[in-house]
Amino acid sequence: MSVSAAIEADGLSKRYVLGAAGGRYDSLRERLTGATRRLLGSACEAETKQAFWALREARFSINHGENVGIIGLNGAGKSTLLKILSRITDPTSGSARIDGRVGALLEVGTGFHSELTGRENVYLYGSILGMRKAEISRKFDAIVEFAGIAPFIDTPVKRFSSGMYVRLAFAVAAHMDPDILLLDEVLAVGDLAFQRKCLDHAHQLQKRDATILFVSHNMFSIKTMCQRVIYLRGGRIEHDGSVEGGIELYEKDCRMSPLHWTGTKPQEWPIFITGSELLDEGGSPRRLFDFGQKMTLRLAYDTRNPVDRPNFIVCILRSDGVPVCNYSTEVDGLDLGRVSGPGLIELDLPPIKLVAEMYSIDVLIRARGFQEILCGQTAGIFHVRHPLFDTHFGVFHETPKWRIERTARARLGDDRN
Amino acid sequence: MTAARRCVTTIRPAQGWLDLDLRAVWQNHELLWQLVVRELKLRYKQAALGVAWAILQPLFTVLVFTVIFGIFARFPSGGMPYSVFALTGVLPWTYFAEAMRRSATGLVTNSELVRKVYFPRLVIPLAGVGSPLADFGFGLLLLLPLMVWHGVMPTWSLLTLPFWMLAMLALALALGLWLGPLNVRYRDIMHTLPFITQIWMFATPIAYPLSMIPSKWRALYSLNPMVGIIEGFRWSLVGTARPDLGAVAISLAVIAVALVAGLIYFRRMERSFADVI
Repeated sequence: MSVSAAIEADGLSKRYVLGAAGGRYDSLRERLTGATRRLLGSACEAETKQAFWALREARFSINHGENVGIIGLNGAGKSTLLKILSRITDPTSGSARIDGRVGALLEVGTGFHSELTGRENVYLYGSILGMRKAEISRKFDAIVEFAGIAPFIDTPVKRFSSGMYVRLAFAVAAHMDPDILLLDEVLAVGDLAFQRKCLDHAHQLQKRDATILFVSHNMFSIKTMCQRVIYLRGGRIEHDGSVEGGIELYEKDCRMSPLHWTGTKPQEWPIFITGSELLDEGGSPRRLFDFGQKMTLRLAYDTRNPVDRPNFIVCILRSDGVPVCNYSTEVDGLDLGRVSGPGLIELDLPPIKLVAEMYSIDVLIRARGFQEILCGQTAGIFHVRHPLFDTHFGVFHETPKWRIERTARARLGDDRN
Repeated sequence: MTAARRCVTTIRPAQGWLDLDLRAVWQNHELLWQLVVRELKLRYKQAALGVAWAILQPLFTVLVFTVIFGIFARFPSGGMPYSVFALTGVLPWTYFAEAMRRSATGLVTNSELVRKVYFPRLVIPLAGVGSPLADFGFGLLLLLPLMVWHGVMPTWSLLTLPFWMLAMLALALALGLWLGPLNVRYRDIMHTLPFITQIWMFATPIAYPLSMIPSKWRALYSLNPMVGIIEGFRWSLVGTARPDLGAVAISLAVIAVALVAGLIYFRRMERSFADVI
């Protein structure tokens, strides 16, 4: 047995019971009526209790100083894994051995109280994260400095802007100095500048030989932070190793997977996307584009029932979830008529001049007139590359025309008359 | 790497009945203190009268009691001025009701924490019984001038005050340990609590003396652990009749059983809090 493993997981599994018994809080009355019904012998037990394995037989070993990215689609078990490792919830079976002080940051600022001042919250949040009072006092100035809110430290945080609030919360968390740091999508909150600050801090921790487990949907951060990736699918570890291999799996699964928020059941969709590809001007498939390059998106669809004049919608989202543009067959004036059977739809995008970032494509099919959602799926991600223009510069960049007039007669419109 | 600093944690499914792990609670005593302080700070924030409410609330209750039960209904009060008699019952009762409410509902009001941060969950009911102690202390400040006014002098029995305090705290905690996890699952607890507290108050000698209970019912009545405790408080604060030792023994036995069982129950249930809350 090597002594150096920071985390040694042995068959960690977590089962959730769905339905009445294990659902969110149920009332005593439901419980009682349920019990009576069971006593009376009606066979409703099977339908109310449904087990669901959020995590199955997770087995891995992470060494001290390693940075591991945990990726997977929504509901793959990433957060469950972190919750078990941070002891918020217990595994149903299996065990894990953790060597070192654990700092878990599953959400920035839980435990902050809006009525209390910044100073009071630093102490409260610090002790919630497991820091000693003496330790917080020692690091207090550094925390305030990091957050950059020194003049407001004795103001109740309810008067803070949301940016200040998040910065202060992260500053406290950043000064935990754990041996093992568990991060769950914390970088997804706040603006991109803030996300960068978090990444910088993670790099500093890395230098101090801290072990970092990092859940993210942002493949850019995964690539910059991690040397190893664990890919989860349906609660199982599908890949544990190279970053490229994990990301490749992720991107493959990302294509065509249902969007959860639509609230519709994929097996009932009358029409759905069966495949997608993104092509460059030359017609060859790619996922990395240079700034301002033309793209063509091809979607293969199929139907269960004929659909009358469906409205195909393609939405491009930035990696932090901000929708950047939207195309719809109905708005753009393409009447599809009655659609039945398989087919292919092609969208020639103009050269969208999005800055260098990672973007994802969501496809929605709605009934005519933006009525009900017939289907909602992801069509993968793509990256844009540019040596200069990134999110510091804005969302997009269009080359403007500049002019200069160097004469004393030059006047603005208002001054002329 | 400094080997001494290393802490190794093992994570595994729940097992065993008697895994109380009170050491983890002690390791988090600073968090406990922070939570108590937070409650105190929040309680009177943005209230114009601030901490004065800790005195005003029992004062008004005693005023109402004195007028209705003392003057109109002419309840006996064991030779004490009725207002002193009522206050020595109202103060501990107010603490008890508040401590029970907070420790029972704390998990739900702090559900964000429970869902996103690990700490021994026992800290929450402990903070719940801890923070109303301050109000109780302020309330005692109200009792002092009232006693002087009526010429009631404390006796050596005052020395037993911490004992009654501890017994009451233990009872509130025991109930919090039972009701807290139940409330996580069934929010009904939260809604029934005020109503139960009210009935319980009338089943406890707060507004009337124990002597009003017919002696054949006395033993049954004393099963209510608050009976012995309130009698003890009165005796300790103003030197009324010494509480019946039998009744006190019953109270303590009930409390001890409820507390130990509550701890075991709470520890068993706490593992699922984050999933259910």
